Amino acid sequence: MSTLSILIETTVILSVVFVVLAYLYYKLSTAKMSLSKAADAKGYEDSESYVTDMMAGKPRRLDWSILYMNDSKSIGLRFIFASLIFLFIGGAFGVMMRLSLTEPVPTIIQPEVYNVLLTEHATIMIYLFTVGMSLGLGFYLIPTQIKAVRDNMGNITSVAFWLYLVGGIFFVISRSAFRWYLYPPLSLQLAPYGAGSDAWLGILAMELIFIGISMASIVALKIIFLDRSKEVPLSRLPLFTWSIVFTLIMLISSDPPIMVALGMLFYDYFNPVFFTAGSHNVLLFTDLFWFWGHPIVYIAILPFFGIIYELLPRFSGTKIYSYNSGVFGLGLLMVLSELVWGHHLQNSGLGLNWDLFFSIASFAVVIPSAITVFNWIATLWTATSIRLTTPMILVLNGIIDFIIGGITGVMLANTSVNEILHGTYAVTSHFHYVFVGISLGITLAAFYVLFPTFSGGRTYDERLARWNAYLVAFGSLLMSTSWAIGGWLGMPRAVDGYFAWFQPYQVGAIIGGVIIGIGMLVFLYNIAVSWWKAPSTDMDNIIENPPEIPSDTSGGAIGGGR
Amino acid sequence: MEKKTKIEAIFMLLIIVILGIFAAQQAYVSAHEIPNSIATQYKGNESGATQIHVIGAQWSWTFIYANGTKSVDNLTLQANTTYQLVVTSQDVIHDLYIGHIGVQIYAVPGQTNTLTFTTPNHPGQYFFECVEYCGKDHYLMRGIMTVT
Repeated sequence: MSTLSILIETTVILSVVFVVLAYLYYKLSTAKMSLSKAADAKGYEDSESYVTDMMAGKPRRLDWSILYMNDSKSIGLRFIFASLIFLFIGGAFGVMMRLSLTEPVPTIIQPEVYNVLLTEHATIMIYLFTVGMSLGLGFYLIPTQIKAVRDNMGNITSVAFWLYLVGGIFFVISRSAFRWYLYPPLSLQLAPYGAGSDAWLGILAMELIFIGISMASIVALKIIFLDRSKEVPLSRLPLFTWSIVFTLIMLISSDPPIMVALGMLFYDYFNPVFFTAGSHNVLLFTDLFWFWGHPIVYIAILPFFGIIYELLPRFSGTKIYSYNSGVFGLGLLMVLSELVWGHHLQNSGLGLNWDLFFSIASFAVVIPSAITVFNWIATLWTATSIRLTTPMILVLNGIIDFIIGGITGVMLANTSVNEILHGTYAVTSHFHYVFVGISLGITLAAFYVLFPTFSGGRTYDERLARWNAYLVAFGSLLMSTSWAIGGWLGMPRAVDGYFAWFQPYQVGAIIGGVIIGIGMLVFLYNIAVSWWKAPSTDMDNIIENPPEIPSDTSGGAIGGGR
Repeated sequence: MEKKTKIEAIFMLLIIVILGIFAAQQAYVSAHEIPNSIATQYKGNESGATQIHVIGAQWSWTFIYANGTKSVDNLTLQANTTYQLVVTSQDVIHDLYIGHIGVQIYAVPGQTNTLTFTTPNHPGQYFFECVEYCGKDHYLMRGIMTVT
């Protein structure tokens, strides 16, 4: 790329950013003025305490005011909608990648671009969509679930959100191509054939995202443990809150290594001493990365387990089968997540002892997962009346996908089988079963449940919502199953071309991926059209205002701790 | 003990027993009994295997045979023979993968990994690929292994 085109591109990006910022500033200042007027009229000294008294803990709808109000609900909404936008960007990149693979040679997308899409799809989905959605749902739902008595560190969470957003935008425009695990020395090659010319910006962006999400996590833990009402003791904390607690502890205990490693990587651009071939330390980065990189994939699903625990009782008219084993399962997942990072590095020369240790530790992860799934199935088993609404369909699909994804995952943990499957599409199929089923599906379920609140009393079209659920479920199954079969036959992943022998499995995956894309467009259309209609119901939702569930003497109080 | 707790305990025990069997089986297989078709990266060169040096580079595989001849993106081996691959890399991390005979080993710059395997006992052609993302033409870093 010539210097002139770089200059033109930079100028255009900067102008767009400037116009958007100016508009936001205008909106923000006028809205802030009206807010302080309203606070004055009610006799408040400052608008902050007005916000805390009037808004905190109440269902909150989406409007421009979330951008300048610093109560937990507003910040939760910011995270939820920012991560939804990132979901659509990342999803579009995923579908583009699929469409390029119709032929064994690169078709519409050349390798340089394909590798950028590959990197951005993974990074956006994991760091920006799932983590953002976890924090968003946490900040939105937890103050209600724990009946928070204080909500006073919103300014810090607000800074955290903007860091996360700016990091996300920088990452997208950095067009880096080092995949989401940025192994050096590849990530040190600042060239179009390596990590991309602006990959350094991608590394800074990741550092910003990590700073943001760590700050937000610490504030969220503070809200849960210090600002909880006395009516909600730890022994009766709702399961969703527990899942967020474990997620955030996992997040802040495991991201220091990657933040340090990213700093060292950035230093290597100027003075290559840490992760170059001469230092004999190349694999050190992979260890530091996966120490964080494995917990992050649990961070990406644990909050959605919590949402399943909240939705199952609502739609099956019974309590969760066992509260205690639910908490135990989630907690054990947190502990084990920190012990299995080496299974991403088998075949890299760790040696037999470590390979076996990590392999057997990965087997142990099945125990908490099985407890959790057993809990869900037992809840459905003992249910009196199951209502098959769209969120419930998505929850059931999530459970099925998690079972399939879990079983294909534990197969990968076996050291001998890993030698055949590592680096093939079998791995991709394993985590897409889980991520599409749990992270995406349960996000959609939670969004449908919360939609009347977000939109101020509007209802979505149930028929289109069902189509969305069925299309995503079927597309995911088709895509991941094609990958699983291809992977067992040795189809390598992360490639822009392949041996023609693998074409049937790629075509299956392309059809599946496009079906998921169409399903998500149905979702977008449904939401957009429903938002246009007049409000027809009240703003309540069943997560924040749960209906009475028949009481059961054993176990803790489930269903929002009420 | 409550009925609920009993059911859960039985379920957990069942899971732990199944996992224990699998764990013991794989530890045994990995450490003692190496099936002919599955390669092992853990044994030294005790069996007097023929050494082949493998160098990964962006974006090709170079094989240096015991007699000093070189070949690029093309590996020719004899049937039913034990070979030892000595794998390293010139620039970034690569990963040599010959799926049908269960060979997979990282090529790491500044580090040498070894792996011993036995070729199938009948002639045939297999493909090998790089399965660790290594830059622009990663997908072209592949070739054919011929067993004669």
